[in-house]
Amino acid sequence: MQVYDSSARQIPVVSQVKSIYENRGLLRLLVVRDLTVRYKRSVIGVWWSLLNPLFTTAVMYYVFNTVFKSKLPNGAPFLPYLLSGVLLSTFFNQSLTMGADSVATGAGVLTKVYVRPEIFAVSAAISSAVNYLIGLAPLAVVLAIYRKTPTWHFPMVLLVVFCMILFTTGLSLMLAIAYINFDDSRSLINIFLLALTYMTPIFYPVEALGPHTRQVILLNPLTSFLQIARHEFGNGAISTLRNWEIMGGCSVLSFVIGFYFFSRLWPKVMAKL
Amino acid sequence: MTHELIVEANELSLAYRRTRHRVSSLKQTAIDTIKRRMAYEEFFALNGVSFNIARGETVSVIGRNGAGKSTLLKVIARVLPPTSGRVIVRGRVAPMIELGAGFNSELTGAENIVLYGTLLGRTPKEMKSRIEAIADWAGLTEHLDIPIRAYSSGMTARLAFATATDVTPDLLLIDEILSVGDEDFREKSAARTVEMMNTGCAVLLVSHDLSAVARMSTRAIYLSNGTPKYSGAPNEVIEAYLSDVHH
Repeated sequence: MQVYDSSARQIPVVSQVKSIYENRGLLRLLVVRDLTVRYKRSVIGVWWSLLNPLFTTAVMYYVFNTVFKSKLPNGAPFLPYLLSGVLLSTFFNQSLTMGADSVATGAGVLTKVYVRPEIFAVSAAISSAVNYLIGLAPLAVVLAIYRKTPTWHFPMVLLVVFCMILFTTGLSLMLAIAYINFDDSRSLINIFLLALTYMTPIFYPVEALGPHTRQVILLNPLTSFLQIARHEFGNGAISTLRNWEIMGGCSVLSFVIGFYFFSRLWPKVMAKL
Repeated sequence: MTHELIVEANELSLAYRRTRHRVSSLKQTAIDTIKRRMAYEEFFALNGVSFNIARGETVSVIGRNGAGKSTLLKVIARVLPPTSGRVIVRGRVAPMIELGAGFNSELTGAENIVLYGTLLGRTPKEMKSRIEAIADWAGLTEHLDIPIRAYSSGMTARLAFATATDVTPDLLLIDEILSVGDEDFREKSAARTVEMMNTGCAVLLVSHDLSAVARMSTRAIYLSNGTPKYSGAPNEVIEAYLSDVHH
């Protein structure tokens, strides 16, 4: 028999993760709901979610390749480089904003039935991950056109995906608290995301930067995610041990800090709703 | 044990800090912090509420709007954690609080039954096996495979009610005895609520319908500004409440 004791000791993060695991049935339903609503019910289905990254890539390709005639220093083709960057940055943005949104708008449900809100953030991250993996299909086509072969340890990309899920769930939980508390936080976060996108080497090579700027860009955790993914796709990008350290470290840190603060702040937010 | 306690609530309080004027933007918060205008006050939504409910008992909570009745239900439903005091709830809880929260208008009736039931704490597998029975009771068998955005509001309410009440709970939490849908379904749903109350589970009922409270409950609590003012036999508590209201 299930017993609820409000005074039972809860270890933050551990108890939250345990509760998500116990409710994995609900988690699966929420992911399926997100994907069904997006794909099955729209006329062009799966293509809908690819439209945004593919269109962005097309515009950027035109601007940077045709207008600016930019070249990658090691002679690597620009299109796969650009597309892999756009796909990963879409994954990050979508997972973060969808996660925060679904917790903030899910608050309507959360004040009526007992569900751990963290599940909503995790499910948004997982469905964004599925979108990203679907996006790898056009990337494979582009790679084939340029006769590029991924590395033999290519499935390591799944580690990048896993880290991105941890990284964005932690961030989106903190963002959700901001969304609920402050109405103007949405527009602020959009400006921040735009800045972050430009600080990630999506359409320019790290090598083209001066030593000072390069340090700043390399400190951006997304740069590490992207360098590793590109290396696995055989895009000629170099991924260093430092990149792996930053990616793993930032993911775990964001997840733990995000979950911890959320468990502290959520009851206070809820009482006001 | 014949008198098994389902709910044990001990000195429950729920307090939160609220700003004197409502602040909802970062800009305003920053300005106020700099000008040192942030004035908080401690607000008690609940203050020292204690009661037990044994299996088979119905405890009613009455009081003016904003007295903390719904907040109390949410604390027992585990939605809001108390800031002090302790509550223990044993067994399966069926919260009938604002039914249909969690419905997705893009999903079909069948998909919503499974999703909503799972949100209410049951397993997807269990819910899948109940789809037909629930739809049949709600009279929506023919509309199971269409998205509920095509439903009328009455149909949606019927689906929510049928899904939420498809359980044999140990504790039933009721925020007003609902009757939804058209005249036929109204009677049917009210009858089902009473039927559920009579299955021998524990019931916590919040209601403004004082005659229903007098008729159905074994005990009553009168809440005023989050504080329990009277508790005991329903008739005496109702009398105390009414004399307060008329003064």
